[in-house]
Amino acid sequence: MDRRYTILAILAIVLAAGLLVIPDKSKTKETSPESMLLAVNDPARFITTDDVTERIIGGDPTLQLIDVRPADQFNKFALPGAVNIPLDSVLSPSYTELLNQPGKKNVFYSNGDTDADAAWQLCKRLKTDNIYVMKGGLNLWFNTIIKGAEPVSTASGNDLDLYSFRQAARQFFTGQGQVVGTPKADEVKKPVKVNVVKKPVEESSGGGC
Amino acid sequence: MTGPLIPMGVIPQSWDNVFAVLLGMGFGFVLEGSGFSSSRKIIGTFFGYDFVVLKVFFTAAITAMIGLLYLSQIGWLDYSLLYIHPTYLASAIIGGIVMGIGFAMGGFCPGTSFCGVAIGKIDAMLFVAGLYLGVFIFSEAFPLFEKLYNSGFRGSVLVSDSLGMSKALFAFLLTLAAIGMFFGATWLERRIKKVEY
Amino acid sequence: MENKKKTGTTYLNPYLGGFLFGLVLLATFIITGRGMGASGAVKSTVAEAVNTVAPSHAEQSAYYSKFVADDAHPMNTWLVFEVLGMLAGAFLSGLVFNRLKFKVEHSPKITSRRRLIFALSGGALFGIGSQLAKGCTSGAALSGMAVLSLGGFITMMAIFGTAFVFAWVFKKNWI
Repeated sequence: MDRRYTILAILAIVLAAGLLVIPDKSKTKETSPESMLLAVNDPARFITTDDVTERIIGGDPTLQLIDVRPADQFNKFALPGAVNIPLDSVLSPSYTELLNQPGKKNVFYSNGDTDADAAWQLCKRLKTDNIYVMKGGLNLWFNTIIKGAEPVSTASGNDLDLYSFRQAARQFFTGQGQVVGTPKADEVKKPVKVNVVKKPVEESSGGGC
Repeated sequence: MTGPLIPMGVIPQSWDNVFAVLLGMGFGFVLEGSGFSSSRKIIGTFFGYDFVVLKVFFTAAITAMIGLLYLSQIGWLDYSLLYIHPTYLASAIIGGIVMGIGFAMGGFCPGTSFCGVAIGKIDAMLFVAGLYLGVFIFSEAFPLFEKLYNSGFRGSVLVSDSLGMSKALFAFLLTLAAIGMFFGATWLERRIKKVEY
Repeated sequence: MENKKKTGTTYLNPYLGGFLFGLVLLATFIITGRGMGASGAVKSTVAEAVNTVAPSHAEQSAYYSKFVADDAHPMNTWLVFEVLGMLAGAFLSGLVFNRLKFKVEHSPKITSRRRLIFALSGGALFGIGSQLAKGCTSGAALSGMAVLSLGGFITMMAIFGTAFVFAWVFKKNWI
Protein backbone atom coordinates (compact mmCIF):
# COMPACT_ATOMS: atom_id res chain seq x y z
CA MET A 1 0.00 0.00 0.00
CA ASP A 2 2.55 2.55 1.14
CA ARG A 3 5.02 1.29 -1.38
CA ARG A 4 2.70 2.13 -4.27
CA TYR A 5 2.35 5.66 -3.01
CA THR A 6 6.08 6.00 -2.57
CA ILE A 7 6.57 5.04 -6.20
CA LEU A 8 3.89 7.51 -7.28
CA ALA A 9 5.46 10.23 -5.17
CA ILE A 10 8.87 9.59 -6.71
CA LEU A 11 7.30 9.64 -10.17
CA ALA A 12 5.67 13.00 -9.45
CA ILE A 13 8.93 14.46 -8.15
CA VAL A 14 10.84 13.21 -11.17
CA LEU A 15 8.24 14.72 -13.50
CA ALA A 16 8.39 18.05 -11.68
CA ALA A 17 12.18 17.98 -11.69
CA GLY A 18 12.03 17.35 -15.43
CA LEU A 19 10.66 20.87 -15.81
CA LEU A 20 13.90 22.22 -14.43
CA VAL A 21 15.96 20.18 -16.85
CA ILE A 22 14.25 20.47 -20.22
CA PRO A 23 15.03 23.61 -22.21
CA ASP A 24 12.44 26.31 -22.06
CA LYS A 25 11.37 27.16 -25.57
CA SER A 26 8.60 29.43 -24.43
CA LYS A 27 11.06 32.15 -23.52
CA THR A 28 10.97 34.50 -26.44
CA LYS A 29 14.32 36.21 -26.57
CA GLU A 30 12.66 39.56 -26.60
CA THR A 31 14.44 42.84 -26.21
CA SER A 32 13.62 44.46 -22.91
CA PRO A 33 11.41 47.55 -23.13
CA GLU A 34 14.26 49.74 -21.86
CA SER A 35 16.79 48.73 -24.49
CA MET A 36 14.06 48.80 -27.13
CA LEU A 37 13.36 52.42 -26.23
CA LEU A 38 17.04 53.25 -26.44
CA ALA A 39 17.33 51.53 -29.81
CA VAL A 40 14.28 53.31 -31.20
CA ASN A 41 15.63 56.69 -30.17
CA ASP A 42 19.06 56.02 -31.60
CA PRO A 43 19.29 57.91 -34.91
CA ALA A 44 21.97 55.44 -35.99
CA ARG A 45 19.26 53.05 -37.06
CA PHE A 46 18.53 55.26 -40.04
CA ILE A 47 20.57 55.27 -43.17
CA THR A 48 20.20 57.93 -45.84
CA THR A 49 19.17 57.34 -49.40
CA ASP A 50 22.49 58.76 -50.57
CA ASP A 51 24.39 56.32 -48.42
CA VAL A 52 22.36 53.42 -49.72
CA THR A 53 22.96 54.60 -53.28
CA GLU A 54 26.64 54.88 -52.69
CA ARG A 55 26.80 51.37 -51.31
CA ILE A 56 24.80 49.95 -54.17
CA ILE A 57 27.08 51.56 -56.70
CA GLY A 58 30.18 50.66 -54.77
CA GLY A 59 28.95 47.07 -54.64
CA ASP A 60 29.18 46.89 -50.87
CA PRO A 61 29.06 43.13 -50.20
CA THR A 62 27.73 43.61 -46.69
CA LEU A 63 24.66 45.49 -47.85
CA GLN A 64 21.42 43.56 -47.96
CA LEU A 65 18.42 45.57 -49.04
CA ILE A 66 15.07 44.29 -47.79
CA ASP A 67 12.03 45.55 -49.66
CA VAL A 68 9.09 45.24 -47.27
CA ARG A 69 6.44 46.34 -49.78
CA PRO A 70 3.93 43.87 -51.19
CA ALA A 71 5.24 41.53 -53.89
CA ASP A 72 3.39 43.22 -56.78
CA GLN A 73 5.00 46.56 -56.03
CA PHE A 74 8.35 44.87 -55.66
CA ASN A 75 7.96 43.28 -59.07
CA LYS A 76 7.25 46.62 -60.70
CA PHE A 77 10.30 48.31 -59.32
CA ALA A 78 12.87 47.63 -56.69
CA LEU A 79 16.34 48.74 -55.81
CA PRO A 80 18.99 46.53 -57.38
CA GLY A 81 19.86 43.49 -55.29
CA ALA A 82 16.92 43.95 -52.94
CA VAL A 83 15.14 40.95 -51.45
CA ASN A 84 11.39 41.13 -51.12
CA ILE A 85 10.04 40.31 -47.67
CA PRO A 86 6.55 41.83 -47.40
CA LEU A 87 5.90 43.38 -44.00
CA ASP A 88 3.42 40.73 -42.97
CA SER A 89 6.00 37.98 -43.38
CA VAL A 90 8.97 39.68 -41.79
CA LEU A 91 8.69 37.41 -38.76
CA SER A 92 8.14 34.29 -40.83
CA PRO A 93 10.63 31.60 -39.80
CA SER A 94 11.71 31.12 -43.41
CA TYR A 95 13.41 34.52 -43.35
CA THR A 96 15.08 34.31 -39.96
CA GLU A 97 18.23 32.89 -41.43
CA LEU A 98 18.38 35.51 -44.17
CA LEU A 99 17.97 38.32 -41.68
CA ASN A 100 20.56 36.94 -39.31
CA GLN A 101 23.54 36.45 -41.59
CA PRO A 102 26.66 37.52 -39.79
CA GLY A 103 28.36 40.56 -41.25
CA LYS A 104 25.36 41.61 -43.33
CA LYS A 105 23.68 44.94 -42.89
CA ASN A 106 19.97 44.62 -43.50
CA VAL A 107 18.42 47.83 -44.73
CA PHE A 108 14.65 47.89 -44.76
CA TYR A 109 12.89 50.16 -47.16
CA SER A 110 9.33 50.78 -48.26
CA ASN A 111 7.69 53.61 -50.19
CA GLY A 112 7.79 55.89 -47.18
CA ASP A 113 9.17 55.28 -43.71
CA THR A 114 6.25 53.65 -41.96
CA ASP A 115 6.37 50.06 -43.17
CA ALA A 116 10.12 49.84 -43.09
CA ASP A 117 10.11 51.21 -39.58
CA ALA A 118 7.47 48.69 -38.52
CA ALA A 119 9.58 45.87 -39.92
CA TRP A 120 12.60 47.24 -38.11
CA GLN A 121 10.74 47.32 -34.80
CA LEU A 122 9.42 43.78 -35.22
CA CYS A 123 12.88 42.44 -35.93
CA LYS A 124 14.51 44.51 -33.23
CA ARG A 125 12.16 43.09 -30.62
CA LEU A 126 13.37 39.65 -31.59
CA LYS A 127 16.92 40.84 -31.13
CA THR A 128 17.90 40.86 -34.78
CA ASP A 129 21.08 42.88 -35.08
CA ASN A 130 22.47 44.85 -37.99
CA ILE A 131 19.14 46.21 -39.15
CA TYR A 132 18.57 49.70 -40.48
CA VAL A 133 15.85 51.75 -42.09
CA MET A 134 16.37 53.70 -45.29
CA LYS A 135 15.15 57.11 -44.19
CA GLY A 136 12.53 58.58 -46.51
CA GLY A 137 12.00 55.34 -48.35
CA LEU A 138 11.78 54.90 -52.08
CA ASN A 139 9.94 58.20 -52.47
CA LEU A 140 12.86 60.17 -51.13
CA TRP A 141 15.30 58.00 -52.99
CA PHE A 142 13.50 58.68 -56.24
CA ASN A 143 13.15 62.39 -55.57
CA THR A 144 16.76 62.92 -54.65
CA ILE A 145 18.62 60.48 -56.84
CA ILE A 146 16.51 60.18 -59.94
CA LYS A 147 14.77 63.53 -59.95
CA GLY A 148 17.32 65.45 -57.92
CA ALA A 149 17.02 69.16 -58.60
CA GLU A 150 20.05 71.15 -59.51
CA PRO A 151 21.19 73.27 -56.57
CA VAL A 152 21.18 77.00 -56.94
CA SER A 153 24.44 78.53 -57.96
CA THR A 154 25.02 80.00 -54.53
CA ALA A 155 24.88 76.57 -52.91
CA SER A 156 27.80 75.41 -50.82
CA GLY A 157 30.49 73.19 -52.12
CA ASN A 158 29.07 70.26 -50.22
CA ASP A 159 25.73 70.66 -51.93
CA LEU A 160 27.36 70.82 -55.28
CA ASP A 161 29.38 67.70 -54.55
CA LEU A 162 26.25 65.96 -53.42
CA TYR A 163 24.51 66.99 -56.57
CA SER A 164 27.23 65.69 -58.80
CA PHE A 165 27.22 62.45 -56.85
CA ARG A 166 23.51 62.13 -57.34
CA GLN A 167 23.82 62.92 -60.99
CA ALA A 168 26.42 60.22 -61.38
CA ALA A 169 24.18 57.84 -59.47
CA ARG A 170 21.27 58.74 -61.71
CA GLN A 171 23.37 57.81 -64.65
CA PHE A 172 24.19 54.54 -62.96
CA PHE A 173 20.59 53.68 -62.36
CA THR A 174 18.99 55.01 -65.50
CA GLY A 175 21.76 55.00 -68.02
CA GLN A 176 21.26 58.67 -68.78
CA GLY A 177 22.10 61.94 -67.19
CA GLN A 178 18.70 63.47 -67.66
CA VAL A 179 15.70 63.27 -65.41
CA VAL A 180 13.47 60.49 -66.54
CA GLY A 181 10.11 59.10 -65.64
CA THR A 182 9.64 56.08 -63.48
CA PRO A 183 12.56 53.81 -64.04
CA LYS A 184 11.90 50.29 -65.20
CA ALA A 185 13.26 47.36 -63.29
CA ASP A 186 15.28 46.06 -66.24
CA GLU A 187 16.78 49.45 -66.82
CA VAL A 188 17.79 49.70 -63.26
CA LYS A 189 19.62 46.46 -63.36
CA LYS A 190 21.78 47.61 -66.24
CA PRO A 191 25.27 47.92 -64.90
CA VAL A 192 26.76 51.25 -65.80
CA LYS A 193 30.28 52.16 -64.95
CA VAL A 194 30.25 55.30 -62.98
CA ASN A 195 32.81 57.31 -61.20
CA VAL A 196 31.50 57.43 -57.71
CA VAL A 197 31.98 60.73 -56.07
CA LYS A 198 32.76 60.12 -52.46
CA LYS A 199 30.63 62.26 -50.30
CA PRO A 200 32.85 64.50 -48.29
CA VAL A 201 31.08 64.98 -44.98
CA GLU A 202 29.28 62.84 -42.42
CA GLU A 203 26.91 60.43 -44.11
CA SER A 204 28.02 57.36 -42.27
CA SER A 205 25.05 58.58 -40.23
CA GLY A 206 26.63 58.08 -36.88
CA GLY A 207 27.35 54.48 -36.08
CA GLY A 208 24.86 53.43 -38.68
CA CYS A 209 27.18 51.31 -40.67
CA MET B 1 2.70 27.14 -30.67
CA THR B 2 -0.74 25.76 -31.23
CA GLY B 3 -2.39 26.16 -27.89
CA PRO B 4 -4.61 27.26 -26.25
CA LEU B 5 -6.73 25.92 -29.06
CA ILE B 6 -9.76 28.21 -29.12
CA PRO B 7 -7.92 31.53 -28.54
CA MET B 8 -5.41 30.53 -31.23
CA GLY B 9 -8.26 29.75 -33.61
CA VAL B 10 -7.36 26.06 -34.02
CA ILE B 11 -10.86 25.20 -32.86
CA PRO B 12 -13.56 27.65 -33.94
CA GLN B 13 -15.10 29.85 -31.27
CA SER B 14 -18.52 28.34 -31.90
CA TRP B 15 -17.39 25.11 -30.25
CA ASP B 16 -16.76 26.95 -27.01
CA ASN B 17 -20.04 26.04 -25.36
CA VAL B 18 -19.90 22.45 -26.53
CA PHE B 19 -16.58 22.06 -24.78
CA ALA B 20 -18.02 23.87 -21.77
CA VAL B 21 -20.61 21.14 -21.36
CA LEU B 22 -18.16 18.29 -22.01
CA LEU B 23 -15.46 19.62 -19.72
CA GLY B 24 -18.07 20.46 -17.11
CA MET B 25 -19.24 16.87 -17.24
CA GLY B 26 -15.72 15.62 -16.64
CA PHE B 27 -15.36 18.10 -13.81
CA GLY B 28 -18.64 17.03 -12.19
CA PHE B 29 -17.98 13.33 -12.62
CA VAL B 30 -14.55 13.46 -11.03
CA LEU B 31 -15.65 15.71 -8.18
CA GLU B 32 -18.61 13.53 -7.32
CA GLY B 33 -16.61 10.35 -7.83
CA SER B 34 -13.99 11.57 -5.38
CA GLY B 35 -16.64 12.19 -2.76
CA PHE B 36 -16.97 15.96 -3.00
CA SER B 37 -20.75 15.71 -2.94
CA SER B 38 -20.65 14.90 0.76
CA SER B 39 -20.18 17.88 3.04
CA ARG B 40 -19.07 15.77 5.96
CA LYS B 41 -16.40 14.14 3.83
CA ILE B 42 -15.19 17.54 2.66
CA ILE B 43 -15.11 19.05 6.10
CA GLY B 44 -13.21 15.98 7.37
CA THR B 45 -10.03 17.69 6.16
CA PHE B 46 -10.32 20.24 8.94
CA PHE B 47 -10.82 17.66 11.69
CA GLY B 48 -8.31 15.26 10.24
CA TYR B 49 -10.55 12.23 9.80
CA ASP B 50 -10.62 12.43 6.01
CA PHE B 51 -8.10 14.35 3.96
CA VAL B 52 -9.72 13.67 0.62
CA VAL B 53 -10.17 17.39 -0.21
CA LEU B 54 -6.54 18.14 0.44
CA LYS B 55 -5.39 15.17 -1.61
CA VAL B 56 -7.70 15.70 -4.57
CA PHE B 57 -7.29 19.47 -4.62
CA PHE B 58 -3.52 19.47 -4.55
CA THR B 59 -3.11 16.49 -6.89
CA ALA B 60 -5.33 18.28 -9.40
CA ALA B 61 -3.52 21.59 -9.05
CA ILE B 62 -0.10 19.96 -9.44
CA THR B 63 -1.16 17.81 -12.39
CA ALA B 64 -2.58 20.78 -14.29
CA MET B 65 0.29 23.04 -13.33
CA ILE B 66 3.02 20.60 -14.38
CA GLY B 67 1.16 19.73 -17.57
CA LEU B 68 0.77 23.38 -18.54
CA LEU B 69 4.42 24.11 -17.83
CA TYR B 70 5.61 21.14 -19.89
CA LEU B 71 3.44 22.19 -22.83
CA SER B 72 4.65 25.74 -22.51
CA GLN B 73 8.32 24.77 -22.27
CA ILE B 74 8.25 22.52 -25.31
CA GLY B 75 6.55 25.37 -27.12
CA TRP B 76 3.11 23.92 -27.73
CA LEU B 77 1.20 26.33 -25.59
CA ASP B 78 1.42 30.08 -25.31
CA TYR B 79 1.41 30.70 -21.57
CA SER B 80 0.76 34.39 -22.12
CA LEU B 81 -2.62 33.62 -23.69
CA LEU B 82 -3.87 31.77 -20.62
CA TYR B 83 -6.26 33.56 -18.32
CA ILE B 84 -4.28 34.30 -15.20
CA HIS B 85 -6.58 35.09 -12.30
CA PRO B 86 -5.79 38.73 -11.47
CA THR B 87 -4.47 39.60 -8.05
CA TYR B 88 -6.43 42.02 -5.89
CA LEU B 89 -4.62 41.70 -2.62
CA ALA B 90 -7.17 43.08 -0.17
CA SER B 91 -10.30 41.68 -1.75
CA ALA B 92 -8.69 38.26 -2.28
CA ILE B 93 -7.84 37.97 1.40
CA ILE B 94 -11.12 39.35 2.75
CA GLY B 95 -13.17 37.48 0.18
CA GLY B 96 -11.23 34.35 1.05
CA ILE B 97 -11.95 34.82 4.74
CA VAL B 98 -15.66 35.30 4.10
CA MET B 99 -15.64 32.21 1.90
CA GLY B 100 -13.75 30.29 4.58
CA ILE B 101 -16.45 31.04 7.15
CA GLY B 102 -19.11 30.05 4.65
CA PHE B 103 -17.17 26.89 3.93
CA ALA B 104 -17.02 25.92 7.60
CA MET B 105 -20.73 26.64 8.05
CA GLY B 106 -22.08 25.17 4.85
CA GLY B 107 -19.57 22.41 4.22
CA PHE B 108 -19.50 23.01 0.50
CA CYS B 109 -17.92 25.28 -2.01
CA PRO B 110 -19.89 26.30 -5.11
CA GLY B 111 -18.50 23.55 -7.35
CA THR B 112 -19.05 20.77 -4.86
CA SER B 113 -22.52 22.01 -3.93
CA PHE B 114 -23.60 21.63 -7.56
CA CYS B 115 -22.39 18.02 -7.39
CA GLY B 116 -24.38 17.53 -4.20
CA VAL B 117 -27.47 18.94 -5.90
CA ALA B 118 -27.03 16.53 -8.81
CA ILE B 119 -27.20 13.49 -6.56
CA GLY B 120 -30.04 14.77 -4.41
CA LYS B 121 -28.40 16.28 -1.32
CA ILE B 122 -30.99 18.63 0.11
CA ASP B 123 -28.39 20.51 2.18
CA ALA B 124 -26.50 21.16 -1.05
CA MET B 125 -29.64 22.59 -2.63
CA LEU B 126 -30.01 24.98 0.28
CA PHE B 127 -26.35 25.89 -0.08
CA VAL B 128 -26.88 26.72 -3.75
CA ALA B 129 -29.92 28.78 -2.82
CA GLY B 130 -27.69 30.55 -0.32
CA LEU B 131 -25.15 31.19 -3.05
CA TYR B 132 -27.74 32.93 -5.20
CA LEU B 133 -28.87 34.90 -2.19
CA GLY B 134 -25.31 35.90 -1.36
CA VAL B 135 -24.51 37.00 -4.88
CA PHE B 136 -27.80 38.93 -4.97
CA ILE B 137 -27.00 40.64 -1.65
CA PHE B 138 -23.51 41.49 -2.84
CA SER B 139 -24.77 42.91 -6.11
CA GLU B 140 -27.43 45.02 -4.42
CA ALA B 141 -25.00 46.30 -1.81
CA PHE B 142 -22.18 46.70 -4.30
CA PRO B 143 -21.63 50.44 -3.65
CA LEU B 144 -20.69 49.45 -0.08
CA PHE B 145 -18.12 46.96 -1.30
CA GLU B 146 -16.92 48.82 -4.35
CA LYS B 147 -13.81 50.31 -2.78
CA LEU B 148 -12.75 47.00 -1.31
CA TYR B 149 -13.63 45.18 -4.53
CA ASN B 150 -11.08 47.19 -6.48
CA SER B 151 -8.42 47.65 -3.84
CA GLY B 152 -4.96 46.18 -3.86
CA PHE B 153 -4.91 45.52 -7.59
CA ARG B 154 -1.60 44.07 -8.69
CA GLY B 155 -2.43 42.82 -12.18
CA SER B 156 -2.12 39.23 -13.29
CA VAL B 157 0.93 38.42 -11.20
CA LEU B 158 2.51 34.99 -11.13
CA VAL B 159 3.41 33.69 -7.71
CA SER B 160 6.77 32.52 -9.05
CA ASP B 161 7.58 36.03 -10.28
CA SER B 162 6.65 37.62 -6.99
CA LEU B 163 8.94 35.15 -5.21
CA GLY B 164 11.67 35.81 -7.75
CA MET B 165 12.07 32.27 -9.02
CA SER B 166 11.38 30.49 -12.28
CA LYS B 167 8.01 28.87 -12.89
CA ALA B 168 9.65 25.45 -13.09
CA LEU B 169 11.45 25.84 -9.77
CA PHE B 170 8.28 26.96 -8.04
CA ALA B 171 6.36 24.04 -9.51
CA PHE B 172 9.04 21.65 -8.31
CA LEU B 173 8.98 23.07 -4.79
CA LEU B 174 5.19 23.02 -4.70
CA THR B 175 5.19 19.39 -5.79
CA LEU B 176 7.61 18.53 -2.99
CA ALA B 177 5.45 20.41 -0.50
CA ALA B 178 2.28 18.71 -1.69
CA ILE B 179 3.82 15.26 -1.49
CA GLY B 180 5.04 16.07 1.99
CA MET B 181 1.49 17.09 2.89
CA PHE B 182 0.08 13.88 1.44
CA PHE B 183 2.35 11.73 3.57
CA GLY B 184 1.66 13.87 6.59
CA ALA B 185 -2.08 13.63 5.99
CA THR B 186 -1.95 9.85 5.63
CA TRP B 187 0.06 9.63 8.82
CA LEU B 188 -2.46 11.80 10.67
CA GLU B 189 -5.45 9.96 9.28
CA ARG B 190 -4.20 6.73 10.79
CA ARG B 191 -3.90 8.28 14.20
CA ILE B 192 -7.17 10.17 14.33
CA LYS B 193 -10.34 8.46 15.32
CA LYS B 194 -12.53 7.75 12.34
CA VAL B 195 -15.82 9.56 12.19
CA GLU B 196 -18.85 7.71 10.88
CA TYR B 197 -20.61 9.66 8.17
CA MET C 1 -12.49 -0.21 1.26
CA GLU C 2 -13.14 1.08 4.70
CA ASN C 3 -15.53 3.63 3.31
CA LYS C 4 -17.44 1.02 1.48
CA LYS C 5 -18.13 -1.03 4.59
CA LYS C 6 -19.26 1.92 6.62
CA THR C 7 -21.29 3.96 4.21
CA GLY C 8 -22.14 1.42 1.58
CA THR C 9 -20.59 3.52 -1.13
CA THR C 10 -17.29 3.69 -2.98
CA TYR C 11 -15.21 6.65 -3.92
CA LEU C 12 -12.36 7.02 -6.32
CA ASN C 13 -8.91 6.83 -4.86
CA PRO C 14 -8.24 10.49 -3.96
CA TYR C 15 -4.98 10.60 -5.91
CA LEU C 16 -6.58 9.02 -8.96
CA GLY C 17 -9.51 11.41 -8.60
CA GLY C 18 -7.14 14.34 -8.24
CA PHE C 19 -5.09 13.24 -11.22
CA LEU C 20 -8.20 12.91 -13.42
CA PHE C 21 -9.45 16.22 -12.10
CA GLY C 22 -6.10 17.77 -12.99
CA LEU C 23 -6.31 16.33 -16.51
CA VAL C 24 -9.78 17.82 -16.98
CA LEU C 25 -8.47 21.16 -15.76
CA LEU C 26 -5.44 20.86 -18.05
CA ALA C 27 -7.70 20.06 -21.01
CA THR C 28 -9.81 23.09 -20.16
CA PHE C 29 -6.77 25.34 -20.22
CA ILE C 30 -5.44 23.79 -23.43
CA ILE C 31 -8.75 24.09 -25.23
CA THR C 32 -10.19 27.34 -23.93
CA GLY C 33 -7.24 29.13 -22.39
CA ARG C 34 -9.01 29.62 -19.08
CA GLY C 35 -9.85 27.55 -16.06
CA MET C 36 -12.92 26.12 -14.43
CA GLY C 37 -15.40 28.06 -12.39
CA ALA C 38 -18.62 27.74 -10.55
CA SER C 39 -19.49 30.99 -8.79
CA GLY C 40 -19.29 32.90 -12.07
CA ALA C 41 -22.26 30.92 -13.34
CA VAL C 42 -24.26 31.96 -10.28
CA LYS C 43 -23.28 35.56 -10.86
CA SER C 44 -24.37 35.59 -14.48
CA THR C 45 -27.68 33.89 -13.72
CA VAL C 46 -28.38 36.39 -10.95
CA ALA C 47 -27.47 39.28 -13.23
CA GLU C 48 -29.59 37.81 -16.00
CA ALA C 49 -32.54 37.22 -13.69
CA VAL C 50 -32.44 40.75 -12.31
CA ASN C 51 -32.11 42.07 -15.83
CA THR C 52 -35.25 40.19 -16.85
CA VAL C 53 -37.32 41.18 -13.82
CA ALA C 54 -36.16 44.76 -13.47
CA PRO C 55 -34.11 45.86 -16.48
CA SER C 56 -33.88 49.48 -15.42
CA HIS C 57 -32.60 48.48 -12.01
CA ALA C 58 -29.97 46.25 -13.54
CA GLU C 59 -28.84 49.05 -15.79
CA GLN C 60 -28.47 51.50 -12.95
CA SER C 61 -26.72 49.14 -10.58
CA ALA C 62 -22.97 49.53 -10.63
CA TYR C 63 -22.44 45.80 -10.35
CA TYR C 64 -25.01 44.24 -12.68
CA SER C 65 -24.32 46.75 -15.39
CA LYS C 66 -20.78 45.36 -15.66
CA PHE C 67 -22.16 42.03 -16.74
CA VAL C 68 -25.48 42.90 -18.29
CA ALA C 69 -24.03 45.44 -20.67
CA ASP C 70 -21.98 42.70 -22.27
CA ASP C 71 -24.16 39.75 -21.45
CA ALA C 72 -22.87 38.09 -24.59
CA HIS C 73 -19.48 37.99 -22.89
CA PRO C 74 -18.27 34.43 -23.49
CA MET C 75 -16.88 34.02 -19.98
CA ASN C 76 -20.30 34.33 -18.40
CA THR C 77 -22.28 32.06 -20.66
CA TRP C 78 -19.38 29.63 -20.84
CA LEU C 79 -19.53 29.05 -17.11
CA VAL C 80 -23.28 28.51 -17.20
CA PHE C 81 -22.84 25.77 -19.80
CA GLU C 82 -19.99 24.34 -17.80
CA VAL C 83 -22.11 24.15 -14.65
CA LEU C 84 -24.89 22.44 -16.60
CA GLY C 85 -22.31 19.91 -17.72
CA MET C 86 -21.13 19.56 -14.14
CA LEU C 87 -24.62 18.72 -12.94
CA ALA C 88 -24.90 16.08 -15.64
CA GLY C 89 -21.46 14.66 -14.87
CA ALA C 90 -22.09 14.49 -11.15
CA PHE C 91 -25.45 12.86 -11.78
CA LEU C 92 -23.73 10.22 -13.94
CA SER C 93 -21.18 9.58 -11.25
CA GLY C 94 -23.95 9.28 -8.66
CA LEU C 95 -25.63 6.79 -10.94
CA VAL C 96 -22.47 4.77 -11.49
CA PHE C 97 -21.55 4.65 -7.81
CA ASN C 98 -25.16 4.27 -6.70
CA ARG C 99 -25.41 7.41 -4.62
CA LEU C 100 -28.58 8.98 -6.02
CA LYS C 101 -30.80 9.65 -3.06
CA PHE C 102 -32.65 12.62 -1.59
CA LYS C 103 -31.29 13.23 1.86
CA VAL C 104 -30.00 15.82 4.27
CA GLU C 105 -26.55 14.92 5.40
CA HIS C 106 -25.73 16.06 8.91
CA SER C 107 -24.02 15.10 12.13
CA PRO C 108 -26.22 12.96 14.41
CA LYS C 109 -25.82 15.68 17.04
CA ILE C 110 -27.83 18.26 15.15
CA THR C 111 -31.23 18.38 13.51
CA SER C 112 -31.83 18.55 9.77
CA ARG C 113 -33.31 21.98 10.28
CA ARG C 114 -30.16 23.33 11.87
CA ARG C 115 -28.08 21.79 9.11
CA LEU C 116 -30.23 23.40 6.42
CA ILE C 117 -30.10 26.81 8.05
CA PHE C 118 -26.33 26.55 8.29
CA ALA C 119 -26.11 25.38 4.67
CA LEU C 120 -28.16 28.37 3.52
CA SER C 121 -26.17 30.91 5.48
CA GLY C 122 -22.88 29.26 4.53
CA GLY C 123 -23.95 29.47 0.92
CA ALA C 124 -24.83 33.14 1.28
CA LEU C 125 -21.44 33.92 2.81
CA PHE C 126 -19.71 31.94 0.09
CA GLY C 127 -21.71 33.87 -2.50
CA ILE C 128 -20.62 37.22 -1.07
CA GLY C 129 -17.02 36.13 -0.62
CA SER C 130 -16.71 34.71 -4.09
CA GLN C 131 -17.84 38.00 -5.64
CA LEU C 132 -15.38 39.91 -3.53
CA ALA C 133 -12.49 37.62 -4.44
CA LYS C 134 -13.70 37.37 -8.07
CA GLY C 135 -13.80 33.61 -7.94
CA CYS C 136 -14.41 30.66 -5.66
CA THR C 137 -12.42 27.58 -4.79
CA SER C 138 -12.58 26.31 -8.36
CA GLY C 139 -12.31 29.55 -10.32
CA ALA C 140 -9.84 31.47 -8.19
CA ALA C 141 -8.05 28.97 -5.98
CA LEU C 142 -7.72 25.83 -8.12
CA SER C 143 -7.57 27.34 -11.61
CA GLY C 144 -5.45 30.16 -10.23
CA MET C 145 -2.98 27.73 -8.69
CA ALA C 146 -2.73 25.73 -11.91
CA VAL C 147 -1.44 28.82 -13.74
CA LEU C 148 0.60 29.98 -10.74
CA SER C 149 -1.52 33.09 -10.16
CA LEU C 150 -0.52 34.90 -7.00
CA GLY C 151 -4.15 35.82 -6.35
CA GLY C 152 -5.12 32.17 -6.63
CA PHE C 153 -2.65 31.13 -3.96
CA ILE C 154 -3.69 33.94 -1.65
CA THR C 155 -7.39 33.11 -2.03
CA MET C 156 -6.67 29.43 -1.48
CA MET C 157 -4.77 30.09 1.73
CA ALA C 158 -7.39 32.54 2.98
CA ILE C 159 -10.25 30.09 2.35
CA PHE C 160 -8.63 27.02 3.85
CA GLY C 161 -6.98 28.87 6.71
CA THR C 162 -10.22 30.50 7.79
CA ALA C 163 -12.26 27.38 7.23
CA PHE C 164 -9.85 25.42 9.39
CA VAL C 165 -10.38 27.80 12.31
CA PHE C 166 -14.12 28.12 11.86
CA ALA C 167 -14.65 24.39 11.39
CA TRP C 168 -13.63 23.99 15.02
CA VAL C 169 -15.97 26.82 16.01
CA PHE C 170 -18.85 24.90 14.38
CA LYS C 171 -17.47 21.53 15.40
CA LYS C 172 -20.79 20.36 16.75
CA ASN C 173 -22.30 20.62 13.29
CA TRP C 174 -19.88 18.15 11.84
CA ILE C 175 -18.65 15.53 14.30
